[in-house]
Amino acid sequence: MFRVAIALILACLSLSVWTGAALAHASEGGFVLLLPTRLYILSGCAAVALSVVIVGVMPGRWLARLFTPNALWAAPTPKLQNITSLAATAGLFALVLIGWFGPHDPLGNLLPLTIWTLWWVGFVAVQALIGDLWAWLNPWSGLAHRLQRTPPPFALPAWLGHWPGVIALLAFAVFALVDPAPDDPSRLATFVALYWLITCAGTLLFGAETWLSRAECFTILLRLFAGLAPLRRAARIKLGLPGWRLTQMPAPTPSLAVFILTLLGIGSFDGLNETFWWLTQIGVNPLEFPGRSAIIGRTTFGLLASVATLIALFAACVWAGLWITTRARPTPAAFQTAFQNWSLSVLPIAFGYHFAHFLVSFLINSQYTAVALSDPLQTGRDLFNLGDHYVSTGFLKSRDPVRTIWLTQAWVIVVAHILAVFIAHHSASQMFATRRQVLTSQLPLAVFMVLYTLFGLWLLATARGA
Amino acid sequence: MTKRDTSNPSFSRRGALKTLGATGLAAAALPGLSGFAQAQSSAPIRIGFQVHRTGIGAAYGRWYDRSTTAAVARINEMGGINGRPVEIVAEDDGTDPKRGAEVIEKFATQLDCDIAFGTLFSHVVMGSAPRAGELKLPYFVVSEGHHVASGILNRYTLQPGITDVKSQVQAMAPFVADNLGKKVTMIYPDFAFGHDHRDYFTAALEAQGGEVLAQIAIPPSETSFTKYFPQIPRETEVIYHVMVGPAVLTFVKEMGEFFGPNSPEIFGFIDSLEAVDMASSGLEFLEGSYFWEGNPRYAQADQSVYDKAYRAAVGVDDNGASVSDPKDVSTYAHMFGCWETLNIVKAGMEAAGYQGPADRAKLIEAVEAMSDMPHSLDHPQGAKRFNGKTHQTFGHQYISKVEGGKLVLAHTTSIEDTLYEDEVDYTTQAF
Repeated sequence: MFRVAIALILACLSLSVWTGAALAHASEGGFVLLLPTRLYILSGCAAVALSVVIVGVMPGRWLARLFTPNALWAAPTPKLQNITSLAATAGLFALVLIGWFGPHDPLGNLLPLTIWTLWWVGFVAVQALIGDLWAWLNPWSGLAHRLQRTPPPFALPAWLGHWPGVIALLAFAVFALVDPAPDDPSRLATFVALYWLITCAGTLLFGAETWLSRAECFTILLRLFAGLAPLRRAARIKLGLPGWRLTQMPAPTPSLAVFILTLLGIGSFDGLNETFWWLTQIGVNPLEFPGRSAIIGRTTFGLLASVATLIALFAACVWAGLWITTRARPTPAAFQTAFQNWSLSVLPIAFGYHFAHFLVSFLINSQYTAVALSDPLQTGRDLFNLGDHYVSTGFLKSRDPVRTIWLTQAWVIVVAHILAVFIAHHSASQMFATRRQVLTSQLPLAVFMVLYTLFGLWLLATARGA
Repeated sequence: MTKRDTSNPSFSRRGALKTLGATGLAAAALPGLSGFAQAQSSAPIRIGFQVHRTGIGAAYGRWYDRSTTAAVARINEMGGINGRPVEIVAEDDGTDPKRGAEVIEKFATQLDCDIAFGTLFSHVVMGSAPRAGELKLPYFVVSEGHHVASGILNRYTLQPGITDVKSQVQAMAPFVADNLGKKVTMIYPDFAFGHDHRDYFTAALEAQGGEVLAQIAIPPSETSFTKYFPQIPRETEVIYHVMVGPAVLTFVKEMGEFFGPNSPEIFGFIDSLEAVDMASSGLEFLEGSYFWEGNPRYAQADQSVYDKAYRAAVGVDDNGASVSDPKDVSTYAHMFGCWETLNIVKAGMEAAGYQGPADRAKLIEAVEAMSDMPHSLDHPQGAKRFNGKTHQTFGHQYISKVEGGKLVLAHTTSIEDTLYEDEVDYTTQAF
């Protein structure tokens, strides 16, 4: 029977793949608009809805088994992380210097290329696929290990929870999405240097683990994304369904739950703010984008409103699910427990949005990165013997590669939502005794997941002007 | 100016940088032996390149960068300007007018640039030019906008390497009226870009005895156009379209579905399909239609030696695509402007005996004194006639017909077709 369940899940996934392959006819930008996008979107939503049905009829123990990893082989205890962290610190310093004193061109300077392309897109994806590589490359942990006092001079108040991390994440989002020039090498170098200093001070004053796990938004984010990886390195290497680790994590604090939802809110707005629809709402001609400088207030408002709306929607779904299930107004304690536990389920969606949104820019800017790595200071060197390498965007100008790109993005979005449905359901099955209770508690959230699939695929399909 | 055979496509950023680096070292060690050492100073001439690296202009910026890099490599191969090497200082403006002004300021006050150069998007030019004027920094734009010649900018802003939209549009009218038909319906996006086409072409067509039967303005946020086509009058002989943005392909497809095989003649501006492969599926309907091209994208049967050498230098093949990727179609109709502008800057600096920022006014006067520029490798798009009073160049325009999925040159306008009355005399403004 377990095999039947697996087969049903595969059928559910293949529905999304089939619809994509059958209806594919795309190219970036203009050609995407020629696609029968309504059918695409319907197919994706149907796949997620089908996953809700499948998980609804699936016995809870099957779901538990799905998320049980297999232990593979014994893994040696990592010993070199403090050394690699120190090397990463040195590398970051070198990049900051390149940002300040190197080429002014953001596509010729290794700092913005490394931060925005290699790290924020490439590394984040690898982290979610392979596991916690950040533990090796964290540019603070090695230094803190050498310098910090035990116990640390100050204690971060417990009531602060992960709120410093939420604030830091929002501040980062404002820089990335609102600031007129986040790619500018010297500007970015100053921001990176300041953030490094603040975090370094935080680790020394409050203890490295405390600060990194509660206030340093990137360590929080990357550790959460590592929870999506099928692999985990512990006493033994374990392999399971992507996201299995999330089902074994302790319930997030309320502030960490808000952090997770904020992450998805930011990713959603990052896609939304480029669409014709959004530009029209804020009174901007989508064919004559006036530049970021002209819409700073409107973008900030949109970002914060998106995050707030998403949190409110999610909370409403949780509350409604509990209310339907217990037929009574949920107690604050019950609501908080469900809100915290189920928030983990949106992590795959946040990752899916991140991947889909940045895939195309990664394909272009990784080429610039290769050129810059070969000639780090634009002095005419060619360390990798690339010759006269021309950066190409030809893959956006013909049908087949663009179709592949679009389908990849759509597929990741759909799979992410299906995974989210499964994780939320698994979490609910631990909270409620009967299958009926589990089902009803998840109904509003399931509707939310299907509608969010609709939103995510619409973002991929709609006209963009910024 | 001595010209060398530069058909060898060896001009590249890397080559240019190597030349610069090697020259700098040689000059430091053995000043008398440096290739650039004849000048009083062998310090590079620093050209601030205001480039759309990010934002909506990034796709154009990529090709403007390539054309600029190739032009500078060639200039340095020929010995630089006044014996000094040329160095490009690229700064991203984010295709953002406010940042554009900041970049101009940075060029003038922090980066020791001799001039600023290279802006394409009109709103960035409009945002940057006042600051260039205040800082007395010569600002050579490559924008096509009529803003320079309209008189609203200043003496420090010039557009000598690319023609403006007013001259382009009006020069289309004689060909359209004589060859395609005198009853025209215009379809354009309902904002300034479309309004320029509407106003300039309507007036020019009437001057040719033609008539614009209908002006169909499409809201900029529109992504489906079927409902607009019934507004096209039945007696229409020519449809003039200038749609831009991601929905252009949808526009073409839906127009094809509306008309089927019995469409009127169709004339458009290649701005709609710049960098789009004409052989793309969905564009079949355009077969037999006509396009304005700033510079013919496909190498023509009678291709000039200059176009051949320019293509090789920029790394563009006979189909207008990158030599490294035949799918990567260039912005061929516009990017020649960077190449030609830099050659004009070189000629201007040489005529002015330019030595440094103190000679900026002399440089502008030298460019203002220019007039006819012959078709050459300095001007591979064709001959130009610069108007020193309006700071705007005029040149031949090309009309191509889509045949077999390629653009085949059908008509070349005269420069006279593109001229219009002066609207300003910048030379009367004090520096």
